[in-house]
Amino acid sequence: MSVQQRTLDCKDLHSYLKTLPAAVLDRLYNHPATCLAVFRELPELSRIYIMRILFVDQAVPKAIMGSWVSPNSARELEDIVKLLTELRVWQEVEMQGGLKGWLLNPTFRRNLKGALLGGGNEWSMKPNTDADPKARGIAVLDEYAMGRWECVLHFMVGSHQHEAISSDALQILQHAGLMKKEPGDNQLSITKDGFQFLLMDTSAQVWYFLLQYLDTANSRNLDLIDCLGFLFQLSFSTLGQDYSTDSMNDGLQKFLQHLREFGLVYQRKRKDGRFYPTRLALDIAAGPKKSMLNSLNASSQATGYIVVETNYRVYAYTDSSLQVALIALFCELIYRFPNLVVGIITRESVREALKRGITADQIVSFLRQHAHSECYKEPPVLPSTIADQIKLWAIERDRFLYKDGVLYNQFDSQADFEILRNYAQERGLLVWHTLNGRKMVVTKEGHDEVRKFWKRHSRNGSM
Amino acid sequence: MAGGSRKYGKKDGDRYDASKKKFAGKKRKDFEDESAYDEGIPDGNEAEGVPEAAKHFIEVEGERQGEDEYGAKDYRDLQLKPDHKSRPLWVAPNGHIFLESFSPVYKHAHDFLIAISEPVCRPEHIHEYKLTSYSLYAAVSVGLQTHDIIEYLKRLSKTAVPDGIVDFIKISTLSYGKVKLVLKHNRYFVESQYPDVIQKLLKDPVIQECRLRHSVESSTDGLITQVQSKATSIQFGKPGTSGEEPGEEGKQVPDDISNFYDKMDKDEDDEDDSSLQTVAFEVNQEKIEVIQKRCIQLEYPLLAEYDFRNDTHNQDINIDLRPAAVLRPYQEKSLRKMFGNGRARSGLIVLPCGAGKSLVGVTACCTVRKRALVLCNSGVSVEQWKAQFKMWSTADDSMICRFTSDAKDKPHGCSILITTFNMITHQQKRSYEADQTMKWLQEQEWGIMVLDEVHTIPARMFRRVLTIVQAHCKLGLTATLVREDDKIADLNFLIGPKLYEANWLELQKRGFIARVQCAEVWCPMSPEFYREYLACKSAKKMLLFVMNPNKFRACQFLIRYHERRNDKIIVFSDNVYALKHYALTMNKPFIYGPTSQNERLQILQNFKLNPKVNTIFVSKVADTSFDLPDANVLIQISSHGGSRRQEAQRLGRILRAKKGAIAEEYNAFFYTLVSQDTLEMSFSRKRQRFLVNQGYSYKVITRMAGMDQDQELNYKNKEEQANLLQMVLTASDIDADEERVPGEIGGRPGPFGRRVGTMASMSGADDAVYMEYKRPSASNNLSKHPLFKKYRTK
Repeated sequence: MSVQQRTLDCKDLHSYLKTLPAAVLDRLYNHPATCLAVFRELPELSRIYIMRILFVDQAVPKAIMGSWVSPNSARELEDIVKLLTELRVWQEVEMQGGLKGWLLNPTFRRNLKGALLGGGNEWSMKPNTDADPKARGIAVLDEYAMGRWECVLHFMVGSHQHEAISSDALQILQHAGLMKKEPGDNQLSITKDGFQFLLMDTSAQVWYFLLQYLDTANSRNLDLIDCLGFLFQLSFSTLGQDYSTDSMNDGLQKFLQHLREFGLVYQRKRKDGRFYPTRLALDIAAGPKKSMLNSLNASSQATGYIVVETNYRVYAYTDSSLQVALIALFCELIYRFPNLVVGIITRESVREALKRGITADQIVSFLRQHAHSECYKEPPVLPSTIADQIKLWAIERDRFLYKDGVLYNQFDSQADFEILRNYAQERGLLVWHTLNGRKMVVTKEGHDEVRKFWKRHSRNGSM
Repeated sequence: MAGGSRKYGKKDGDRYDASKKKFAGKKRKDFEDESAYDEGIPDGNEAEGVPEAAKHFIEVEGERQGEDEYGAKDYRDLQLKPDHKSRPLWVAPNGHIFLESFSPVYKHAHDFLIAISEPVCRPEHIHEYKLTSYSLYAAVSVGLQTHDIIEYLKRLSKTAVPDGIVDFIKISTLSYGKVKLVLKHNRYFVESQYPDVIQKLLKDPVIQECRLRHSVESSTDGLITQVQSKATSIQFGKPGTSGEEPGEEGKQVPDDISNFYDKMDKDEDDEDDSSLQTVAFEVNQEKIEVIQKRCIQLEYPLLAEYDFRNDTHNQDINIDLRPAAVLRPYQEKSLRKMFGNGRARSGLIVLPCGAGKSLVGVTACCTVRKRALVLCNSGVSVEQWKAQFKMWSTADDSMICRFTSDAKDKPHGCSILITTFNMITHQQKRSYEADQTMKWLQEQEWGIMVLDEVHTIPARMFRRVLTIVQAHCKLGLTATLVREDDKIADLNFLIGPKLYEANWLELQKRGFIARVQCAEVWCPMSPEFYREYLACKSAKKMLLFVMNPNKFRACQFLIRYHERRNDKIIVFSDNVYALKHYALTMNKPFIYGPTSQNERLQILQNFKLNPKVNTIFVSKVADTSFDLPDANVLIQISSHGGSRRQEAQRLGRILRAKKGAIAEEYNAFFYTLVSQDTLEMSFSRKRQRFLVNQGYSYKVITRMAGMDQDQELNYKNKEEQANLLQMVLTASDIDADEERVPGEIGGRPGPFGRRVGTMASMSGADDAVYMEYKRPSASNNLSKHPLFKKYRTK
């Protein structure tokens, strides 16, 4: 009977890696870029630990490591021990004399050293040696990336001006549960998860989408390790720099074409021999938490286009049908001007959105995230009464209190009913009762006790 | 398996939805015109007073536009100008206009829009206005020309202005403002700068009949031609210290906008200097209303103007503003609109409560300097107006005459008469004294008539006033030009156009009115009360949700909290049963319908000055005009359905700017207590719409910290609550009714004048309670100050 809202689970890098089998992880650490990316995302304390033992080639006793933190921080230590073990960055080993210690994963150690100190094979991607005669500026890349990405979103909301997207992308959308085919209907339609997906911020969307893509990597004959390794390499590349495709194998070439479709890399022509990573790609290793995209958004608050007024009016400076479609998810639209949409947030419109599986928090954070630059002049960006009200509307749907209980009915006489009811009431086991039809509900825990009493009572009565 | 709580939840959900649905259908149309909770019964022939052009509703024409896939009106085909970023307006083909308040030309556009359209909502960033024929009528009457309106609108708009709008402006304005009705030397003239218009009017047989011909004037057409002399502009007392800020026009302002604005500004001044040739004919005084109506039918509504400086027939009165009276910029602006061309125009000035409406009224009287008549809607406010006159102007007791049922000063020789609408329109027999005063009043030619709280008067009563009083110029003052019925529009034609409307949020920001924190406190219905609520019929329902013990506790908690802060608290309840119960249980003084004038003044006086009286309970008699400058907390426990006006009026009780408390973010508090899951919720949402559109926001409070721990609150246990429930259930249906206040005109139905007052007061039941309440109970009161014995009786 649970009505718990299911929210879309968007894992960060570490929680994704934890889901991978140990063998895959070990192979993954063969890429220095992966090791560096994993290392970079670790909490500060674990980074210190790793740095301390990076050059110690044998296991270090737990007792010694434990003494590196003050006793108050024992909890934190526990957390990082758990994390590092799960990520297979280190393993617990038995040392001489039965002492337990930790030993860094040798592959990880080797490659992290390589990444930090240089030497060994070149691990980062090589910039093209000959300059691109038609080099692309950063602005062009940004525009291209957002354009491609919005194309996918456009397709999801089913707005009219979308270009078709490839069957691979379709497959991923379906696999991710963001869209599904209704039985008997040839068209794909968006799911509850899809709506939630739309309201996430872009970097979270990209990351979520990629995770789903990697899930299906094997089925399209791609090597997961290669792909992940390449993604991490990408994340260490430089924006606006072009890179050569020469050293890439066929699988990676194919992967590159997919990334190109989603706007993670830019390639003028398929056989161009060079590509440019875009901001979307540089962002991935950072996971959904911190992203350059947000800094992009912050630097040009102009991308914020929504003004929410205290009277529940929503004004959106946009002519993009995608943005309008997003707003229409939880707003009633009143006017469309060439560069402005006027809508109003009503109880009905919000309830409609909630029914579709969108949560109040998602609406609120969407409105905050896309707030117009004018709104920043006088915080709060979103009037607190509006945010409160949207949440209240959500709570309003969730007011039932569920209690397990057992129904007693079909009493033979009023007297029987009253005796049993009084018994339950005195012991605080009664949940509800009505004289009308002689029904009562007792708590689940109390059921045994009341039943025993009833048996005793009826036995006595019959005697 | 679910318990009882679930049952409530379910049923409630349905109910809430159902009541919502009722409104949902209308919601779409427009947030303004809903009449589900009308406050006045339509009086028959209302429509006659409205010109034909006013019935062209552009809204309808707008409907023909397409809708997009989301059901929004689709105006995407409007041509966007290349420099649209620096222009502040969108003009929709249905007459709605959206204004960016952060635009560099906001100030220009705002002044302009206020003149030509009605504000729909004015929150922080983007304001919405609406063009109506009334608003355009007002625009013309303050001197704007059709061409200028269209031209300026075009320049301010981000897009091309739709043709429909241009046509609408033309239809609505071309014939307005051409003819004026002027009262000179006790004779009425119809005057115009356009001889052809006068000729056209004179061809009409009805108008011919109304025309008064003197044998002396034997020129061919009998028209009086005269040249209006040069007039100097008027100075109101001392100009406000913080006048207009210097325009900070950056480079972003497109040249055409600022140039044009300057030009329009100048136009208004130029008008004063140029001498104008006018033609006029005289009108028979008894036929004034006929000719007014006829002119409206002919689409040439008469503007009433009073050339008071050239009126030598009426004696000037010796009254001036005191040097201490300083007008605030918005007050001055509103008066400028009124006296724009050196004459006094009739019209409405809309200022929030507490923003100094009375000073505007007093200044207007001092400017005209002719006999002044002030009409207000209660005896208490008559007293308050007198005090205002004495405070701001040089008028003294001998010049001011009050004419109420309690105070009848000698009218002869006085120059300012203050009375109530009821006194004037009273149709039963009067005392000899009152009769004499009325006679005198009718004989006078009044220079100016000030109508306070003008929105409360139905058109019929106002007509009566007009037939009795001869006034050159009428000034209507109000805070809320909304009514749940649409009768506000009629005021435009009976008094005059809206001359000025202030922006609440702006006044609040500049500290002219208090910064109010509005809060809606959700009080859960106690299960027992809710069971009864669902089961009983509608009259009782109201009593149940007002008497909800959780509401009582919340109210008591808030009072105790604010009393500790030394705040002054007013508690409003429309329901008298609840009012008395709350007040008596908490041992606080209260005022309602039957409370005598004397006692009211006494209680108010104590509330103002006595530090021991920090809380009073009032019924809706105190909605308007009770001036309680110190009150800064208002708690509303029951209210009149979904009346937006009442909500705004009540807020007005605490709006007067508070001294000293600038450090705090808010310096006044407005709580509405709502029983959760009852009808009150949807009422409350409706009521708030006006204020929400003015930019106020309501914070919803679902839990008050510390309320559960407070042991001194009443009704903490089930037994007490059950007793209360029993009491409520045994109360009669009459108790469940709202109070009907004598003198509250808006609520009075029909021309048959059903005697106002509750059934209880008709049957005498009211008095029984009243007597008990007056009786001094010695045992209880010994420890108290004698002053309080009177109303602190259990």
